[in-house]
Amino acid sequence: MTENERAAESRRMRILIVDDSSLVRLYYRNALEAADFDVEQAINGIEAMEKVVAQTFDLVVVDVNMPRMDGLSFIRSLRRSASEVAAIPALVISTEAGQQDIDDSRLAGANYYLVKPVSEANLIRYVAALTGVPR
Amino acid sequence: MARSEPAGRPDIRVSQEEVRRLCDFLYRRTGMLFSDSKRYYIDRRLAERIAATGSSSFQSYFAILRSETEHEIEYLINAFTVNETYFYREDHQLRCMTSELLPNLVTRKRAGESIRIWSVPCSTGEEPYSIAIWLMENWKDVDLYNIEIVASDIDTRALKAATEGLYGKRALIRLSPNLISRYFEPVDGEQYRIDPGLRNSIQFTQANLIDAQDMRRFRGFDMIFCRNVLIYFDDASRRIAGENLYDSLQPGGYICLGHSETMSRISSLFHVCRFPDAIVYQRPEADDDRK
Repeated sequence: MTENERAAESRRMRILIVDDSSLVRLYYRNALEAADFDVEQAINGIEAMEKVVAQTFDLVVVDVNMPRMDGLSFIRSLRRSASEVAAIPALVISTEAGQQDIDDSRLAGANYYLVKPVSEANLIRYVAALTGVPR
Repeated sequence: MARSEPAGRPDIRVSQEEVRRLCDFLYRRTGMLFSDSKRYYIDRRLAERIAATGSSSFQSYFAILRSETEHEIEYLINAFTVNETYFYREDHQLRCMTSELLPNLVTRKRAGESIRIWSVPCSTGEEPYSIAIWLMENWKDVDLYNIEIVASDIDTRALKAATEGLYGKRALIRLSPNLISRYFEPVDGEQYRIDPGLRNSIQFTQANLIDAQDMRRFRGFDMIFCRNVLIYFDDASRRIAGENLYDSLQPGGYICLGHSETMSRISSLFHVCRFPDAIVYQRPEADDDRK
């Protein structure tokens, strides 16, 4: 294994949490940081869009109901972005548990859908799976 | 100009009559009753303020106090209120919040709806931060609702300290090392700063519990923590504060008082709820039994 490969292997995955509730962001952030992920936060889709074009992320974790720009609109504009940004996987975490909500989110371009409440263990499990981190 | 902490000027004598006038004034403005039994305490704080304002007599100090141009009333209230507390104080109430109060409250709420919690008085922030930490650590539905925590105090100096979020080791004595590392950043050997994300999740604002006008800004709370302040009030102020708190609660909302306090003798508006971890007062669901 070369130096570069080793560096890439040990690079910490960067996660963007998009949720309008500050306590929810904090709860998810604490869980993910304890599992060695780097975490950035955004309070709505607009702020999230600004962050994904300016920084590198391995996954976005997105709430659906948010003011100004909701989660599905954010994922749709993410998927229409330049190739690198468009390829970021998206995990939707929502209070809505209906099949229509899940279908809508898949259509918008989400990779996976979890219904709140999400335990710390489950959050880590799905984030690890979607970023390819062995656990 | 730098001014050393004044110890009071020995040449200024304050008579019992003057102390009574001052206490009357404070009572009218804040509802807090300072009796003769606290005379020593009052004298010391008063002497400090007289010296700090450079007043030559009680009369000239009292004139400054009443003129309201110098914020002296605020400084005096700050000097008269006691602000030492610690994280996870009376944690049996926090346990009651997650084991009984929230499960009851959310039966009326849809997922994603707001749950509004008010910490008043919040002193230097230990209580509202403790509520937030407790919820994240102990409530499995913490991400299912939009939890809003508002924290208020009459003492602006305490509020400033709360927003700065800097604490000594004594305030953290009840927290495990794991919790401290999750929610605090060591600043130097002695102090810890609260996580900025946690600080920003709480809305700090001044409030006066006996000022009905002021209290109108605080409405629709599901839960109020109002601990160890009513003991400073006399019966009349307690009743006013009790009614104001009632109006701040949603029907069905709960209020937690300090362990030595009871709402039953203050107001008949509330239902008493005896839970295994704590006695809590509830605003009835229907308003028609308001007396």
